[in-house]
Amino acid sequence: MNLRWHHFALWALFIVGMFALPQFVSNGTLRTMIFANFLAIFAISWDTLSGRTGYISFGHPFLIGIGAYTTAILTHRFDFPVEISIPIAVIATMVGGLIVLLPALRIKGSYFALVTLAMMELVYQLVQVVRPDLTGGTRGMSGLPTLTRGAANGYYMSVSLMLAIALSMWLIMKTRLGTALSAIGMNEEAVSGSGLSVTKLKMTAFLMSAFIAGLGGAVYIHYLGSIAPRALFDINFVFTIIVAALIGGAGTTIGPIAGAFFLTFLLEYLRPWLPGAERYMVYSGLALLIYMYQPKGMWALMTQATFKSKIRP
Amino acid sequence: MSAKLEIRNLVKKFGGLTATNDVSFTIEPGQSVGLIGPNGAGKTTIFSQIMGEHPQTKGEILIDGKEISHLATPQRIHAGVSRTYQVPRPFSEMSVAENIRVGLMPDSIWDMITRGPNREREVEIASAIGLGEDQLERLPSELSMGDLRKLEMARTLATSPRLMLLDEVFAGLTVNEIAVISDLVQSMRDDGMTFLIVSHDLKALEPLVDHAIAINHGEVIAQGQYQDVMGSDIVRASYLGTA
Repeated sequence: MNLRWHHFALWALFIVGMFALPQFVSNGTLRTMIFANFLAIFAISWDTLSGRTGYISFGHPFLIGIGAYTTAILTHRFDFPVEISIPIAVIATMVGGLIVLLPALRIKGSYFALVTLAMMELVYQLVQVVRPDLTGGTRGMSGLPTLTRGAANGYYMSVSLMLAIALSMWLIMKTRLGTALSAIGMNEEAVSGSGLSVTKLKMTAFLMSAFIAGLGGAVYIHYLGSIAPRALFDINFVFTIIVAALIGGAGTTIGPIAGAFFLTFLLEYLRPWLPGAERYMVYSGLALLIYMYQPKGMWALMTQATFKSKIRP
Repeated sequence: MSAKLEIRNLVKKFGGLTATNDVSFTIEPGQSVGLIGPNGAGKTTIFSQIMGEHPQTKGEILIDGKEISHLATPQRIHAGVSRTYQVPRPFSEMSVAENIRVGLMPDSIWDMITRGPNREREVEIASAIGLGEDQLERLPSELSMGDLRKLEMARTLATSPRLMLLDEVFAGLTVNEIAVISDLVQSMRDDGMTFLIVSHDLKALEPLVDHAIAINHGEVIAQGQYQDVMGSDIVRASYLGTA
């Protein structure tokens, strides 16, 4: 691992800063930050698969949805305690996602993106019509057990989860596994030509991504206390996750977090002026500008400005 | 250190096009053989079939007497065969050291996570191939074509091959760079490495090989001692386009 003491010092500073925030900001801002934390989790999940290996997923809510619906059904219909339903939901996401998407990892580029998009749409339709007595059909489910009460507690829970995931992924990506996954994104044939099993590596990336998506999805709905298929499987939700990772800096750990916070606050502050879908035009324009100027995202821009040096992945 | 390669009746068809037709040859351990022929003769296709990138339509490929046709590319590399490409394919956003690191990766995901990179081995391979320690942190975009070829060979060497397939290893190099790569191949030959080398630069190829296999239109037209093959009328005619 190429780790330096200042990396840990920066992480410590970041963690202390994030935990100290509730002392300085309003409850309204905290609620916005809770959503930013969850978006960061989903963006890290997306980045683990797509940002690193170049396999662009357009159906990440498919994975988030498996985790969310599994725990929702278990707690709401079968009275499972949350401590048991969430781990089951995570395992279900990894296994279910793998069964469905493993064949898709054999195809590349836009075909993979289309298959993932189709999976999301398929699950969206299925949860509405198959066993609505379990899934709640088009209306979803409400009255689910919640993990916290109050904005501050919700913030501490979400930020703890987000930071634990971010730090773990950062450490994993600093190992040779991270190097191998990034190598797939650069030249898959050369990875295979270096004696590595690309299928095994892609499967690992997918399982890690599914683990984070399942965990994030399950905890998210136990924060909200409800689940609604239309919001979960919304195409805008897909794009928000992808743009958060890209705008922040795909292939990094901090990038998706920065992108998620930037996007969440941008959309929130635009709400009074542009309450409808027009807000998405503004953020699309901004994302396009940043992407054109620095394809490696905001994190690279910030690093460039700070160190005035070339950016390395 | 050395591997034996046997190719038996290799046929590769791309739709209606027969790229290689009933190709057979043997390379003994420690031998260095030139694979020559005009453009489009099927040389690179033979490499791709040996590596499993384009599985053959018919025929057998054996390393040390063991059939490898059913193996995927990474397993063939573990069996001891590795190749370079006509156009170097470095990992563009990784340093020279990281490029070599990919070739040195363990097979197990757990080992990738728990065991750090073998920096000493990376430096050792880089230096054996003629890349200085000061170049280890450079990006491929900062390297000359000669150094890119060296990097390609370094990553190949990192997989601990016993048989190396070098594809157009002198293409785009200056006279000095050709000399450096030639010295490198010679020293690896001295260590017992088996080579199959494709090159259009016959002058550079000649001192590196003791045998040659000439192919044209996907078929072997001559094989044997290098001088005998090059002196053959049918080989000359194929290069002049009259065969």
